[in-house]
Amino acid sequence: MFGRILTQVCRVLALAGGAVLLGIVGLTVVSIALRELTGQPIPGDYELVEVGCAVAVFAFLPYCQLSGGNVFVGFATAWAPGWLQGLLDATAQVAYAGIAALLAWRLTLGGMDLHTYGETTMVLGMPVWPAFLPIVPSLALLSVACLYTAAVSLRKGPA
Amino acid sequence: MSGVEVGIGLFVLMLALIALRVPVGLGMLIAGMIGYAALNGWYPLINYLKTAPYYRFSTYELSVIPLFLLMGQFATKAGLSRALFETANHFLGHMRGGVAMAAVGGCGAFGAICGSSLATAATMGQVALPEMRRYGYSGALATGSLAAGGTLGILIPPSVVLVIYAILTEQSIGTMFVAAVIPGILAALGYMLAIAIHVRRHPDAGPAAPRQALSRASLLNALAVGVIFVLVIGGIYTGRFTPTEGAAVGAFLTAVMAFVAGRMRAKGLIECLLGAASQSAMIFLILFGAEVFNAALALSRMPQEAAAAVAASGWSPMLVLAAMLLLYLAFGCVMDSLSMILLTIPIFFPVISALDFGMGPEETAIWFGVLALIVVEVGLITPPVGLNVFIINGLAPDIPITQTYRGVLPFLASDIVRVVLLVAFPAITLALPRLLQ
Repeated sequence: MFGRILTQVCRVLALAGGAVLLGIVGLTVVSIALRELTGQPIPGDYELVEVGCAVAVFAFLPYCQLSGGNVFVGFATAWAPGWLQGLLDATAQVAYAGIAALLAWRLTLGGMDLHTYGETTMVLGMPVWPAFLPIVPSLALLSVACLYTAAVSLRKGPA
Repeated sequence: MSGVEVGIGLFVLMLALIALRVPVGLGMLIAGMIGYAALNGWYPLINYLKTAPYYRFSTYELSVIPLFLLMGQFATKAGLSRALFETANHFLGHMRGGVAMAAVGGCGAFGAICGSSLATAATMGQVALPEMRRYGYSGALATGSLAAGGTLGILIPPSVVLVIYAILTEQSIGTMFVAAVIPGILAALGYMLAIAIHVRRHPDAGPAAPRQALSRASLLNALAVGVIFVLVIGGIYTGRFTPTEGAAVGAFLTAVMAFVAGRMRAKGLIECLLGAASQSAMIFLILFGAEVFNAALALSRMPQEAAAAVAASGWSPMLVLAAMLLLYLAFGCVMDSLSMILLTIPIFFPVISALDFGMGPEETAIWFGVLALIVVEVGLITPPVGLNVFIINGLAPDIPITQTYRGVLPFLASDIVRVVLLVAFPAITLALPRLLQ
């Protein structure tokens, strides 16, 4: 039950990131068309692409983890029994969960710093910190997804 | 401890983690964090992590990667692989070994709109494998030609690995793409030649098939692929587009083609987005891991010390180059190409730049980048971890994997001949960038 809900949440988040990616495609194509036709692109289009790309990629991380999308090298442990492979996988996934949690904490503080110092983008003068609003929950979800995959690895052996 | 010793220690730690089933990007990240904390302190590390992940993921240059991945998803969804294969098969299929040649040609053409070898092998395998089985091709030739042909996905631009190489070495992405075109075409021709020689020696491995008809729709789609390639790569090279803009235009056009083909309604779109999401996340985890690892490596001063040591050793430039290429071949057997480029270029590139190969620094950088790209891709078809071989084998479970590895041998020979030619004659790689300048 928990696994099904988690999978669904990660999928929806990844699709939201995908929608941002489609937005980048649309924005860029329109901006090029305007630049070619009127000589004036959409102002700050590059900045919007940068922010959108970061938000999208962070949103992709939990789905990638849950769907086993990360490349790993299995041949060095191919001799090991299934329970040992599962234990190694679970160890790596717990470590990843820890790092994701560490990053969620650090980026929360980083975002607060950017808010305090009023950091803005160059062309549009947008504040930078709101980009961290979707990113920090993405990392928190990544941490949960890693713990869940670790539990699955322990129970079922290697993926 | 000297910098080189610390650096080697970090590499050993990272490789040990990867051998113990830690995902590659995560292994680099963990080793890098430990190295950074040991060399610079824990507090600077966690301070660095406050904004570094955000700024790594939000650079304009890297935004090209998810867009090219999305373009590859749309191109696959649009069924362009079938159109390209059918077009090539119309011209080649009636020759002995011709269906395998058509598969290689189709892979090369699909590689012109897709920057991933695995995707190219998978999509072309689905289309071409049943055809080769139907006309009685041997399992070794059928799977070997597709596994090898898949590597054209990344040799022929656009190519994710070339984008990363260009960013790491501060070269123009457009120039790198253009430089890879002739070596990429040579690769496709070399593979076809390998097939021709193979079927000459084993006539029953690839019997001649009847001449295949070519539908108008397939031909039009194949022509459209050519137009998109010229528009995207040409636009990037001439500076009309930034690479990100080129990728966005390509994604837009392939999305339209998928939509017109009737294959992209809500469900198809969701599949494309999730596919691009998973691939992007995988690549960005590796990018971030490599960033932290390389930051630790830079603190150890290993890259500079290694460059100085090689420069002082008095080895001839060609010997150093050969050693590097052999190292890529060896590591390629177990590691993925993107990780190898990310980990080695910060060390190898200063060494190569300091050596005299008889051309300007920029041309040396372009030439070395194309060579490195080719040899890391060879790892996709060599045992024990040949990812392309695994993918094709998954599509043809009745063919033992040892047969596929045997089928790949003629293509490996072709790869080696090509690398020797490109090393001996840098002009092959540099001709097109020079001509277009």
